[in-house]
Amino acid sequence: MSLLGMFWNQTVCLLQHFRGRKNRCYSLAVRAVRRAFVYASKARKAKRRSMRQLWIQRVAAASREQHMKYPALIHNLLKCSVALNRRVLCDLSITEPRSFQSLTALAHARRTEGLRAALGDGAEPPGVFSRITQLQ
Amino acid sequence: MTCALPKKTQSQWATFARSWFLIDARMQPPGKIASMCSVRLQGKHKPIYHPLSDIGDHVVVMNTRHIAFSGNKWEQKVYSSHTGYPGSFKQLTAAQMHKKDPTAIIKLAVYGMLPKNLTRRTMMQRLHLFPDDVLPEDILKNLTEELPQPREIPRKLSEYTQEERNAFPMLWTPPEDYRMK
Repeated sequence: MSLLGMFWNQTVCLLQHFRGRKNRCYSLAVRAVRRAFVYASKARKAKRRSMRQLWIQRVAAASREQHMKYPALIHNLLKCSVALNRRVLCDLSITEPRSFQSLTALAHARRTEGLRAALGDGAEPPGVFSRITQLQ
Repeated sequence: MTCALPKKTQSQWATFARSWFLIDARMQPPGKIASMCSVRLQGKHKPIYHPLSDIGDHVVVMNTRHIAFSGNKWEQKVYSSHTGYPGSFKQLTAAQMHKKDPTAIIKLAVYGMLPKNLTRRTMMQRLHLFPDDVLPEDILKNLTEELPQPREIPRKLSEYTQEERNAFPMLWTPPEDYRMK
C-alpha cells in the first residue's frame, strides 16, 4: 500500500487542469493540491456572501423599477411581519413580477401609514388589506 | 420580430433585449446625469443583473454643452492628467475642459463611476454623448425610452407672468415714504 500511489489515485482528477509541473511532479503537486483545498474552503464561505450581495442588488433594482428604494422595502416588509428572505424576494422579482409589485405596494402602504393617518381621511388604501400594523 | 422559438423563450426575449435610453442634460448637474448613466450601462436597473453577464443598455446623452455645475465648480474643479513624460502634468479647470471638448466632463464622470474592471471600456462604448440636440438618424431610430431629468429647472424671473408676480405673497408692505433703490 504505497502512499505515493494512494495520492495519485485520489487526486489525479483534481489536478489535471493545473499549470506547469504541478500536474505531474509529486512534490509540487502535493503543495498545489493543499493550496487548492484551502482556497476551496475559503471560497465556500465567500460564496454565501457574494450570493447575498447579488440578491440584494437584484431586489434593489426590482424595487427601484416600482419606485421604491431597497432599504425602505426591507424595513417596511419587516414591519408588516412579512418574513421573506432576500433569496426568495430575488426569485420573485425575476419570475413573479406581479407578486413582487404587490409586495412593494404593501411596503409602500406601511411606509405612508403615519402620513395618511396625519393628513388623510382615515380611509384604507385601495388594494392593500390584511396588513399588520404592530410588529409581531 | 417573429422567430421560430418555443413560447417560453419568446416571452423572455424582451427581458434580455438591450434598450437605448435618452437623457437631456440641459441645465442638469453632470454628476447626477453620470450616475444615472452608469446605473443603466452596468445593467443595475434590471432584476436579472449579474456583473459577468453583459446586460448593460445603451445611453444617449444630448445637450452636454448646456450642463450646469452648482457652486463655483466651473472655476474651482480641476481635471488633472499626466502622460508619463516629464513636464507633462496638465491641470485644466472645468470651464477650460468644457470649452476644449463639450462632452469631456460627462465622459470622465461616467468613466469614474463605472466599476474599475475590463468591462468598463465596453460600457463606455455603449455611452453616446452629443453636445447639442442634433442626433444622427441611426441613433434616433434605436431610441426606446427617455429618462426624466434629475433636477427640476427653476424658472427665471423674466419667465414668470405679471399675474403670478402679483399673486406672490408679500413679506411686508413698505410705508409710503420708504425709498427703494
